[in-house]
Amino acid sequence: MNPLSLRNVTKTYKTQGKPLITAVNDVSFTIEPGSIHGLLGPNGAGKSTLISMISGMQAPTSGSITLFDVDMVRNPEQAKGFLGVVPQEVVVEMAFTVQEVLYYFSGMYGVPKAQRQGRIDHALEDLQLSDKKDEKAKTLSGGMKRRLMIAKAMIHQPKFLILDEPTAGVDVALRQRIWDIVRRLHAEGTTILFTTHYLEEAEQLCDTITLMNHGAVIKEGKLKDIQKEFSQNSIHFELYDQNVPHPEGVHRTGSEFEFPMRSLAEDMEMLTKHYNSNLKAIRSEAASLESIFLTLTA
Amino acid sequence: MNNGMWALYAREVKRFQKIWIDTIFNPIVSVGLYLAVFGVVTGGRDVATVPYLAFVYIGLLSMNLINASISNPAFALIISKNLGTIIDLQLAPIAPWRVGLAYALAALTRGIVTLGVAVLCTIWFIPLAGIAHPFLLIITILITGLEFGMLGVAFGMWAKGFEALTFLTTFILQPMIFLAGVFYPISALPHPWNIVSQFNPLHHNVNLIRYAATGFADGNPYTSIIVVGVLLFCVAIIMQVVVQKKLRSE
Ligand SMILES: Nc1ncnc2c1ncn2[C@@H]1O[C@H](COP(=O)(O)OP(=O)(O)OP(=O)(O)O)[C@@H](O)[C@H]1O
Ligand SMILES: [Mg+2]
Repeated sequence: MNPLSLRNVTKTYKTQGKPLITAVNDVSFTIEPGSIHGLLGPNGAGKSTLISMISGMQAPTSGSITLFDVDMVRNPEQAKGFLGVVPQEVVVEMAFTVQEVLYYFSGMYGVPKAQRQGRIDHALEDLQLSDKKDEKAKTLSGGMKRRLMIAKAMIHQPKFLILDEPTAGVDVALRQRIWDIVRRLHAEGTTILFTTHYLEEAEQLCDTITLMNHGAVIKEGKLKDIQKEFSQNSIHFELYDQNVPHPEGVHRTGSEFEFPMRSLAEDMEMLTKHYNSNLKAIRSEAASLESIFLTLTA
Repeated sequence: MNNGMWALYAREVKRFQKIWIDTIFNPIVSVGLYLAVFGVVTGGRDVATVPYLAFVYIGLLSMNLINASISNPAFALIISKNLGTIIDLQLAPIAPWRVGLAYALAALTRGIVTLGVAVLCTIWFIPLAGIAHPFLLIITILITGLEFGMLGVAFGMWAKGFEALTFLTTFILQPMIFLAGVFYPISALPHPWNIVSQFNPLHHNVNLIRYAATGFADGNPYTSIIVVGVLLFCVAIIMQVVVQKKLRSE
């Protein structure tokens, strides 16, 4: 019983006077119980659209979506009950305090009244919002609002947590904290699906990934396997002076540069010719997710 | 997931509790002002067996109930769509019709609170000789509040912005209220408006409430019972369809 199974999911948008937009194009993959799955891809790849269909906010144009073997289109109320979702866009209530937002939202997921306060205190502690609990949600800072969104998604202890760019606009310390929470929930048995543009985060966290571009899946599977597949073809090098022109295909990963290997001899020759004495070190290594991403979405 | 629906109901009740000044004073002021005017102008006259002031009083209360029930969910939902918090309704494991019902029940609750407050503040000035049909009165008040609550839900889900709501209240609801026999019996209207008023669904709600309260009916109460019943059913269907459509696609 997989937490998620997508079969040939497609979503098209019709806007008047414009050509049909295919936001998600024939996407199929499954997520196994207890895994952390990264959904990656450049802006506009269709990640959020896919997530909104998985969470039952939009119906797919075609294809099927099942959560723990429950069909999202035919049986949405049951399927939604498994889920906690952090949407990409931060939205907050005008009228309610942080505590009230969580109180009613957990109630809407069927958390009994008697249990709500305990869970609220716990979630607020987790996300370092305890001292804000009686403030109006709209007065929180941007990062705090996002944390409130995360608290809302986990307060009913879902079996499957979906986070659409949970760390966008969040400071470094807090990003660490968010991923610690995700790791802990994962250790407790929660299945996780998330998107991020910080590929180091995905690299550290994910068991499996789906890479999307232009609405379609271009790579899917275990992160390790994908890296292995690319490992023989990646050359890393360092330079003394980094502000020089680079040959095509070279991209930067941190303080290093990286490019897909053609043949070792040929590439060495190219590098020495191009950079000359500027070259500090060269090695071939497992490709970083960033370089795989750039190669595949180029 | 009944629990979820009741939590949503509680949330929407809480929302209007937060603006209790508006909830309480708005109806008192509007009913009070109308009454003062009509009291002065028409003092002492009767409509059939009922003093005019009592006649118009019940009409005004009905109008208040209808206004409160329709605008509460419509406002809440339009704001929610503008803020984007409508996403909470899309994510929660609550069937769309239950979402609609939760909002409509909250609207009914507000309508009744509003009504109660307005009655408490004004009943002392009205020449009412007891309630003619108390049980029918309770039922018709509940049904009217729910009916217009559901209409408000459907409208709030459907409308894009506040202009639509202004349009509804100014160009549709107000004229309908004026042709509903709130201020005078519809038989007193010139032809053809007296006939048109018969087809005004609002007239039947007002008529039924007034019949239950005073025993005077401005048209056959049984017709009104049937019309109100059919309307409740239709509005429920419309609400279900609109909510379902809007929560699953936006
Ligand atoms: N409601 C809509 N109507 C029309 N087009 C839409 C709609 N929603 C999304 N799209 C289009 O679908 C495509 C995918 O958008 P989506 O938001 O899913 O991308 P994304 O992968 O989440 O991007 P990002 O990383 O920027 O969040 C885009 O081209 C977008 O313009
Ligand atoms: Mg997105």
